[in-house]
Amino acid sequence: MKFVDEFRDAGLGRVLAGEILTTVEPGRHYKIMEVCGGHTHSIYKYGVDDLLPSNVELVHGPGCPVCVIPMGRVDDGIAIAHEPNVIFACFGDMLRVPGSNGTLLEAKARGADVRMVYSPLDALRIAKQNPDRDVVFFAIGFETTAPSTALTLKRARAEGVENFFCMCNHVTIVPPLRALLDSPDLRLDGFIGPGHVSTVVGARPFHFICADYERPVVIAGFEPLDLLQAIHMILRQLSDGRCEVENQYTRVVPYEGNLRALEIMAEVFELRPHFEWRGLGLISQSALKLSDAYADLDAELRYAVPGVRVADPKACQCGEVLKGVIKPWECKVFGSACTPEHAIGTCMVSPEGACAAYYNYGRFAREREVV
Amino acid sequence: MNAARTAPATASDLGPSCGPEEHCITCGDQAIPMRVLGVEQPGGLAICRELSDVLQMTGIAGETVDVGLLADVSAGDVVLVHAGTALARLGPEEVEA
Repeated sequence: MKFVDEFRDAGLGRVLAGEILTTVEPGRHYKIMEVCGGHTHSIYKYGVDDLLPSNVELVHGPGCPVCVIPMGRVDDGIAIAHEPNVIFACFGDMLRVPGSNGTLLEAKARGADVRMVYSPLDALRIAKQNPDRDVVFFAIGFETTAPSTALTLKRARAEGVENFFCMCNHVTIVPPLRALLDSPDLRLDGFIGPGHVSTVVGARPFHFICADYERPVVIAGFEPLDLLQAIHMILRQLSDGRCEVENQYTRVVPYEGNLRALEIMAEVFELRPHFEWRGLGLISQSALKLSDAYADLDAELRYAVPGVRVADPKACQCGEVLKGVIKPWECKVFGSACTPEHAIGTCMVSPEGACAAYYNYGRFAREREVV
Repeated sequence: MNAARTAPATASDLGPSCGPEEHCITCGDQAIPMRVLGVEQPGGLAICRELSDVLQMTGIAGETVDVGLLADVSAGDVVLVHAGTALARLGPEEVEA
């Protein structure tokens, strides 16, 4: 399959790795952040970081939709799930994210009707099959996933489905990036831009990184050669003294994004004044809620939710991992108290999370190094 | 193996299956190329199937995908799908075997 196979070609990968080696300046240390959790997963899965010179460091960013959901929001979801007439639908990884009193999966074990879905459309289908129950879809994700929720809410309204509701936790990618760039404890040289978010929002929203912070951005695909090429493009920009938004993922990402998706999102959602991000704290205008026109489908208005901010467990250092300040293995509980099977922090729950990706693919190589 | 890729349309009936070794593409930023087998409603829903040869041999009929974000989708097109929604159309040069 051409779309995938040629972007995993080992020979071309070696060529690119060689070109990266000739582009870096000896003695200079490069810190490049991959914003998207999908990139983090690919980097560890394919060992992309092993192909880089030792002075090129990849820093994992906040772009894992599950990892950034704070415990308080999980608690709110569980409260709705326990309402007597509710079927609570959400994506698979979200079921295992701990709140202050367990996970949605444990709520299911205690009797709540929690069901895993692969798309908002699945949740709408459940609503049609159960007209006498309320179906609440726990919506998470960046701009990649938000259009899917928006389309489904429009569809529910158009089809007259009156028992479908949404607890909206959609977040936007630019505000956390700005927060990271403003953070004094992190110095980054460039960014690997999120590929599928950019399919929706296009390249334009990332120009502020060049204009305001003078850092290069290269939007990249998810195969190993995509990542190597994007890293090479960033290093070339740094070497040439350029600072631009470049698009490595042109086979999928148009410069303007998907205008229809942006229109529908603008109709169905509006920005929250602020939203709590795990590890990053409250960030202004960084998340979406249902617009006034769709307020009757908003589960948070239909049901009473605690709405309490809950501090992360003291041992958990997800916040520092999400900001790229520490590596997963530098967390005190990584691989001991916190594993994918018994996660303390969100970064270990989702395979998109840096800790889980590193736990699943990278830890053995590191153990070899130590020996 | 990717749980989402092999799931039938009524995946919710099976209960949670995204384990630590698996990759829940709907939780993440992942999207997969699928071929449109037929359009149910213009500008609305379509039946799509993954390009993977293995899946084609299994005889899975396809999954329902919302193609409302793309103009003029027709059978044979290849679209990039995330969370049951087609986000972009892929050109023929990207998908030819």
